[in-house]
Amino acid sequence: MTRIIQGSPAKDIVATLRQAKGYYITNTARDQSQSDFKNRILLHTDLMAAENRDKAGYFSLEITGGASIHVDILRKQVDPFLKLKKLREKMPNTMFQTLCRGVNLFGYRPYPQNVIRFTVREFAKYVDVWRTFDFLNHVPNMHAVFEEVGKAGKLNEPCICFSTGPEHSNEYYVEKAREIITVTGRDITLCIKNHGGLGTPKRIGELVNALKQKYADVPIHYHGHNTDGNDVGRIVEAVRNGAAIVDAADSSFSGFYGPPPVLTVVQTLKEYGFESVGLDEEAVIATSEVIRDQRQYYEQFESQIKGFQPTVQIHKLPGGAMGSSLEQAAKGGFLDRMSDILHKELPRVQKELGNYWSVTPGSQILWTTAVANVLGGERYGNPSGDLRNLLLGKYGPFPFYRPEDWIYEKVLGDDWQKVLEREGGVDAIIDMDLAHERYALAELLGVEPTDEQLVLYLQHPNDAVEFFKFSEKYGQVYVLSPAIFFRQGGFIVGEKLAFRDHHGKEHMIEVGPSPVNDAGETSVYFNVDHHPSIFNFKAKTAVGQQGGALILSKEEILELAKAGDVRSPFSGKIVEITVDEGQEVLVGDRVAIMEAMKMQTPILAEMGGIVTLISAKKGDGLKPGGKILKIDPNE
Amino acid sequence: MKKKILVANRGEIAIRLTRAIQELGCEAVAVYETPDEMSRHIRIADEAILLGDGPRCDYLNIEKIIRAAKKSGACAIHPGYGFLAENPFFAKACENNGIIFIGPTADIILNLGNKVIARNIMAEAGIPMVPGTQNLKQGRIGVAEALSFAAKYGYPTMLKATSGGGGRGIRRIESDAEMKEMIPVARAEALAAFNDDSVFLEKVVINPKHVEVQILADSHGNTLHLGTRDCSIQRRNQKLIEIAPSMIKNRPLLDEICNTAVKAAKAANYLNAGTVEFLIDKDQNYYFMEINTRVQVEHTVTEMITGIDIVRNQINIAFGKPLSFTQKDVQIRGHAIEVRINAEDPKNDFMPEGGKKVSVYRSTGGFGVRLDGFVYQGYVIPEVYDSLLVKLTVHGFTWEETVERLKRCLHNFAIRGPKTTIPFYVNIANEKDFVTGNFDTSYIETHPHIFHYDEDASEVGKLARFISQIHYSRENPFSK
Repeated sequence: MTRIIQGSPAKDIVATLRQAKGYYITNTARDQSQSDFKNRILLHTDLMAAENRDKAGYFSLEITGGASIHVDILRKQVDPFLKLKKLREKMPNTMFQTLCRGVNLFGYRPYPQNVIRFTVREFAKYVDVWRTFDFLNHVPNMHAVFEEVGKAGKLNEPCICFSTGPEHSNEYYVEKAREIITVTGRDITLCIKNHGGLGTPKRIGELVNALKQKYADVPIHYHGHNTDGNDVGRIVEAVRNGAAIVDAADSSFSGFYGPPPVLTVVQTLKEYGFESVGLDEEAVIATSEVIRDQRQYYEQFESQIKGFQPTVQIHKLPGGAMGSSLEQAAKGGFLDRMSDILHKELPRVQKELGNYWSVTPGSQILWTTAVANVLGGERYGNPSGDLRNLLLGKYGPFPFYRPEDWIYEKVLGDDWQKVLEREGGVDAIIDMDLAHERYALAELLGVEPTDEQLVLYLQHPNDAVEFFKFSEKYGQVYVLSPAIFFRQGGFIVGEKLAFRDHHGKEHMIEVGPSPVNDAGETSVYFNVDHHPSIFNFKAKTAVGQQGGALILSKEEILELAKAGDVRSPFSGKIVEITVDEGQEVLVGDRVAIMEAMKMQTPILAEMGGIVTLISAKKGDGLKPGGKILKIDPNE
Repeated sequence: MKKKILVANRGEIAIRLTRAIQELGCEAVAVYETPDEMSRHIRIADEAILLGDGPRCDYLNIEKIIRAAKKSGACAIHPGYGFLAENPFFAKACENNGIIFIGPTADIILNLGNKVIARNIMAEAGIPMVPGTQNLKQGRIGVAEALSFAAKYGYPTMLKATSGGGGRGIRRIESDAEMKEMIPVARAEALAAFNDDSVFLEKVVINPKHVEVQILADSHGNTLHLGTRDCSIQRRNQKLIEIAPSMIKNRPLLDEICNTAVKAAKAANYLNAGTVEFLIDKDQNYYFMEINTRVQVEHTVTEMITGIDIVRNQINIAFGKPLSFTQKDVQIRGHAIEVRINAEDPKNDFMPEGGKKVSVYRSTGGFGVRLDGFVYQGYVIPEVYDSLLVKLTVHGFTWEETVERLKRCLHNFAIRGPKTTIPFYVNIANEKDFVTGNFDTSYIETHPHIFHYDEDASEVGKLARFISQIHYSRENPFSK
C-alpha cells in the first residue's frame, strides 16, 4: 500500500488517494491540544512524539493553525515557524497540515488581501496540507488562500462546515461542494468539517454518500470531534460511504472534546473490512507510550468539567471552543448557569441568528451573545461589536435566512434599516502598506525583522513584539520540558533541571535557596552548569516590571530639552548653573556647565524662553536624564 | 626595627605598593577614609590609620597624611597614582618634614607637570615634538594667538591645560568659533582642576598610536628604559587596554623611541620611575607628548615582559640605592596585555555601578596570569571612588598566545551584582583588528560593534533567567 510522502505534488497526492484501497488517517495533534488542553501541548512533547508519529505513516499531522499560532507566541513562547522547522528535522516523511480560517486566517476578524497572501506564502513553505474554512461557508472568503496554496504547489483542502437542522440538507452541501470545486478544480481533498461532532453516524454516512455520488473523484476527508463519545461511529460510516481520510489522535492524550483515538478507529474499521493505508500500528502504540508520562504536567489545562457532552447535539459548541468556554464560565463564576446557557439559550440564539455554523469566529459570537443574554437579563441588550458586524454582513451573507427585524433593531438601534443600508455588506478591506509595517516593526525591535517575524506581527502586533522581546531576554524556551515549563509551586532546593538548549548543548541547573532580605527582595540562587548565578526580584513587583529606575535615552533627553525641560545628557556633576530663575534665554545660550570624565561641557538651551525652575545646584551629581532646570516659552 | 613606609593611596595600587614594601622587609602603613573601612588594602597592611570621613578629600589632604606618617613613624611615603602622586607641594611637604617621597623631586614634578616648561626643556634637548604654542596670553590677545596658530596648522587642534595630565584638561577644537567659545571654558576648567588657568595649543596628530616608554633613573646618574607600552585603545583619552611591548613591527624605530625617552629623562634631570609618552603618526613620525612622574596604572605589563619589579626599584631609588642592573640586563620577553575590569556599564557611557554589591566573585588564575585587585565576594562598589575592581594582566610567549590567554581569563571570571567591562573586553579580544595588532587611538570609535553584547549572552543564562521566574512566581507567569 502506498504511503504519501511529504513533498509530493498535490496532483499526485490526490491521484494516490483516488486509487487507494482503504483509507488514510490524519493525526490531529493540534486539535487535540486545542480541544482538551487549551492549546498548551508544548513543542517539547510533540518533538518527543515526532519520531514515532513519522513512522506511523499518517496522511498528515495537523500541527499548526487554528488558535495555535496565537497561543504559541502568547502562552508557549515558541515561534510557530521554528516549531514546524524543528518538527520537520525529526519528521522527514509526514505532511504537515494547518487549519486556516479563510479571510480570518488564524485570527478572529478579516485581514486585508495582501496580508492573507503574504501569510499563506510564508507558512506554505512548511505546511503541505491547507484545510481552509469559512464559518458562513461563504466560498469567496477562501479564494485568496486557495490561490496562494495552489501557487505554492501545496494541497488545498477546502471545507464544508457541517451542522444539523432542517436547512443542513445534502442538497445544500452538495451545492457548496460544487461552488468550491468550480474555484479550485478537482485536485483537492474536500473536508467535511464536523467541529462539533454533530449528527449521527447515519447522517454523516448519507452526506458522504451524497457527495461521492456527485463527485466520485474528489477524495473526502472527514474531520470530527468526540464530544458526545460517538465520533468513531461517524468515522466508520464516513469510510463505509467512501471517505478517503479521517481524523484521529494519540490515545494517551485523548480527552473528551478532541478527536477519538487512532487505534480505536483502526481496530473498528478492520472489522468492517477497511484497512488503514500505510499505517504502522506499533508506531501508533509507541507514540502514546513515549508521551504518556508527560500528560500529568498538562492537568491544569484540562477541562473544568470531566466527561463526554452528549448535549453538544443541542448547544453545538465546537470541540475547540469547549475548553475555553468552560474556563471562562469557571473564572466568571457562572458554571452553575451553564445548563441554561448551553441547553436553552445557545440553541435559541443559533436559530435566531440564522442557524449558521458554530465555529470560529462565529461560535464566539453565539457564545458571547448567549452568555450576555442569560447573565445580562435583557436579551440582546448588550450586543458585542462582532455581533453588530455579523448583522451588518461584514463576515459575509447569512447562508439560510436573516435574523428577524427586532434583533436588528436591538443591535443596530431604531434606525437600523438606515444603518444597514449605509454600512451593510462585506467591506473591501484596504491592503496594508507592508513596507511601512516592516519599518514600524524594525523600529520596535531595533533590528530588521525577518519575513516570518513580520507575518507574526501582522497577525498579532502587540503579542508578537512581546514575544520577540521575550525570546531576546529568555532565549528559546521550547527546549524546556512541561515538567519545568508548567511547574507549579516552584522547584525544590537541590533539584537538578537538565535540558538541551536550542543549539543542542546540554545544561544542568541546580536549584539553590531563595532568601528574602529585609527590604523584601528575593534572591534566587541557581548553579547554572556549576556556575553560581543569582536572580534578584524586587519586593512585590509584578513579574516583568523589575529593573532599576528609568534612565532616559539621549534622544528622549534632547526631546525634553527642546520642550524646555533641560536634563543632564550624561552622568556627571554640575559645575555651575549659569542662569537665574526669571532670566530670559535664547536657543544656544549656556544655562549650565557640567563635568564628566574630568571634562567640562556647557549645557545649552534648546528652546528660548524664561528660566522658571532650577532643580539642580552646583556640585550635584546627576544621572542621564537628571533634572537641571525648566524653560517656559516666551508669550 | 623594621622601616615603615606609608602608602598614601587606596584600592588596588595600595595593595600593589604594600606587597613591594613587605617584600623589602619593611612594614606598610595604610591610610583610609571612612567609606573605605571595609577596603582590602587596610587588612593587608601592617597598620592602618583613619584620615577622616572623606570622601576623597582626606586622601588629598597633605597635612593629614604627613601627620599620619609622623604618628606611625614612617620614614617614607609612596603616593601611588592619582590623588597626590603628581602634586609638587606634597613632595615638598615630605621633604620639609624629613620624610622620603618615593618619586621625583618637587622641582621635577613642577617642571614636567607644566606642559609648556616641559616642552621647552624637550625642545632644547632636540626631542621631536608636535608643533604647539607657548601659554596663551590672557584675554583677546591669547585668542588671537590661538587663531593664528590654527590658521598655520589647520583644524582640528588640541587645546590643553598646561598643568593637566593623565588625559585631563584636553579638548579637541574644530573651528574658529569653537576656539573662541572654548578657551574661557578650558581656562575655568583648568583653574578648578589644577589651580592654574594656563592653556596652550598643539597641532592634532590624526589617529596616532599612543606609545610610551617606562624609565627608571637613580640618584647615581643611571637612567635606563624598560621598553615600550602601547596604550592606543582609549576612550576620551582614558586608557582601557595596555600592551607591552608596542606592536609596531619597525624595531629600529622602537629602539630610537626608547633612546629618545632616555635622552628626554636625562634632559629633565629625571629621578625615580617615570613614563615618557609619544604619539606616532601613520608615517611613523613620533612626537614627544609628556612625562608622567609617577608609577602608571599599566606598569604591570612592563613588569611582566621584563621581570623587573618597578615599585621595588622605586623604593630602592628613593632610599638612594643605585640600580642593580644595566640597560643590557633589560630583556624583553613575550607580550603582556592589561585590562582594567571596572564595575561600569560600557553600553551606558561607562556609567559606574556604584552602590551595587558583588554577590558572586570568582576570578581566574594559572600560567601567565596576574591579578591586581581588591574586590571580594560581598564587596559593595563605592559610590565615591573609582569603580576599578581588578586589573587583569596576562603574559604570553607570543602575541597570539597572549590574546588567547586573555580570552580564557575573561571567560573564567564570574562577577555577579554590578555590570562590568568584561563582556566589552571579550568583544575586543575577539575583534579582528585587535587580534592582528592593528589599532590606534581611533579604535573605539571606529569599532562601534564592540559595544554589542548581551550580559547574559549565553543561551543557558537566558533560560536560567526564565526558570528563575517560574521558580519565584511558583508558576509560569507567561503561560496563564
